[in-house]
Amino acid sequence: MKRKLIVVTALMFAMPLYAQADAVSELQADYQAKGAGPFSAAAGEALWNKPFKNAKSGKERNCTTCHTADLTQSGKHVRTGKVIEPMAPSVNPKRLTEVKKIKKWFVRNCKWTLGRECTAQEKGDLLAFLKNL
Amino acid sequence: MSNISREVKIWNLPVRLFHWVLVGCFITAWLTRDDRYLDIHVFAGYLMGGLILFRLLWGVIGGPYARFCDFAFGWREAWDYTKMVLKRCAPRFIGHNPAGSWGIYILLGLGVLVVITGLLAFGGEEGHGPLAGLLNYAQGAIAHDLHELLAWVMLGAVAVHLLGVLVESVLHRENLIASMITGYKSVPPGTVSAAGGRPVGVLMLATIIAAGFSWFYGYLVETPEQPYRPFVGQQLPDNALWREECGACHLAFHPSLLPARSWTVMMESQSSHFGEDLFLEQDAIDEITAFLAGNAAEQALTEAAWKIDQSIPKTATPLRITETQYWIDKHREISVQVWRSPKVNGKVNCASCHLDADDGTFEDAAMRIPVEADSSSAAVFKIFQKAVRYFSFNSSPPNRLEDKG
Repeated sequence: MKRKLIVVTALMFAMPLYAQADAVSELQADYQAKGAGPFSAAAGEALWNKPFKNAKSGKERNCTTCHTADLTQSGKHVRTGKVIEPMAPSVNPKRLTEVKKIKKWFVRNCKWTLGRECTAQEKGDLLAFLKNL
Repeated sequence: MSNISREVKIWNLPVRLFHWVLVGCFITAWLTRDDRYLDIHVFAGYLMGGLILFRLLWGVIGGPYARFCDFAFGWREAWDYTKMVLKRCAPRFIGHNPAGSWGIYILLGLGVLVVITGLLAFGGEEGHGPLAGLLNYAQGAIAHDLHELLAWVMLGAVAVHLLGVLVESVLHRENLIASMITGYKSVPPGTVSAAGGRPVGVLMLATIIAAGFSWFYGYLVETPEQPYRPFVGQQLPDNALWREECGACHLAFHPSLLPARSWTVMMESQSSHFGEDLFLEQDAIDEITAFLAGNAAEQALTEAAWKIDQSIPKTATPLRITETQYWIDKHREISVQVWRSPKVNGKVNCASCHLDADDGTFEDAAMRIPVEADSSSAAVFKIFQKAVRYFSFNSSPPNRLEDKG
């Protein structure tokens, strides 16, 4: 009985990790099915930091505009000042655990930052970069 | 007038305390008529009401000069006395003269009316106080107008009272203001003294101090993380999905801040939401739209909701709260420097000043501009606050709300 409890508790603690691995690998498999891959964390990091000039405002935007350069720290929405919880799953285990959320934020944030949706390759690279932070 | 005069106590402690604390309440209430200081204003009002009730009682059981029967002059007598004052041949009264008596009756009457209309407005518009819920917002607004009108009339009565005091002081070569402070007057021998009443006065003073302390106690123990909120509004309808989705990028603006038609348009155009594609799924759109429209400004869940809705033409569909006339009027006095300061960061962050923005209640006294310069009085207050916190919470720190960050 006691051993069972320990196992269950251990599993509960490990769950976010499984969920994260699940969500990321599920999405990456999906992108691969669309012809992308293999995915590189280095390419993801480069894209994360790459500035894109916004057609409307003429200002440069990149992912760090809101998330800041240190992903273990909280970010700040550049327009509203709303605090954004850290991106790194090592400090914020809720990150990259839900497929739906990842998809939604990719659409929103790629459109805002790059001015277009990200390609399957880009998304796979970004996930490869983010998941090990 | 007799040349042989003695200093005799005419106004005893309860009468003088009543007078000067009432003066203090009246001035404080005028200075705090801005919504931001509603809690101070309301305290001044409660105190004024309490003092007047006490004075009515003291007018029956109090000593000489304080009892109503001692200055129960008719209107005719007051008028005749006024005419004599104008002819500079008015006799001197040790207590209240006939004209002054009428000033007191009128001021007491106006004070009662000001307090009652204040309570009605406080209950109707804010939903607080003993008369909460008695009137709706529209009726509360009428009570508010009446309250202001009566306050102006009372100010006029105060001016006449002051004029009377000055004229009488000159006419009878005596300092009536000093008498109301010290209680003593130079009077002919044999004049009845109004000594005594000291225990009642001390009890009054203790009650006033205790009331003030308990009313403002929250300020003494507040912390920067958990500022004191004098009034907490009723819990408004909430929705987890709305809070999660809308609150991810900005304050989850409560539905009561815009009319339903605005929310409908906003959710229909969610793919271009102020320059961003929200990419919400249809069932999320439906749930959030239903929540927003169902609790929109028209439902008048708060005073702000009611007033915002009133201020928008029925043909207009504002997509920003900052476009509504009520918002514009209420924020007119906020300077550009405040909006630009990093602590405020523009008009999108209600919560940088409104302590209850997250709850959507937008209570009047829950507003603090974070960039106001520290005055020396604020510095003194902070030291006082520290001392109180040290002594009262040395053993048990106040519960802190978890940071919602």
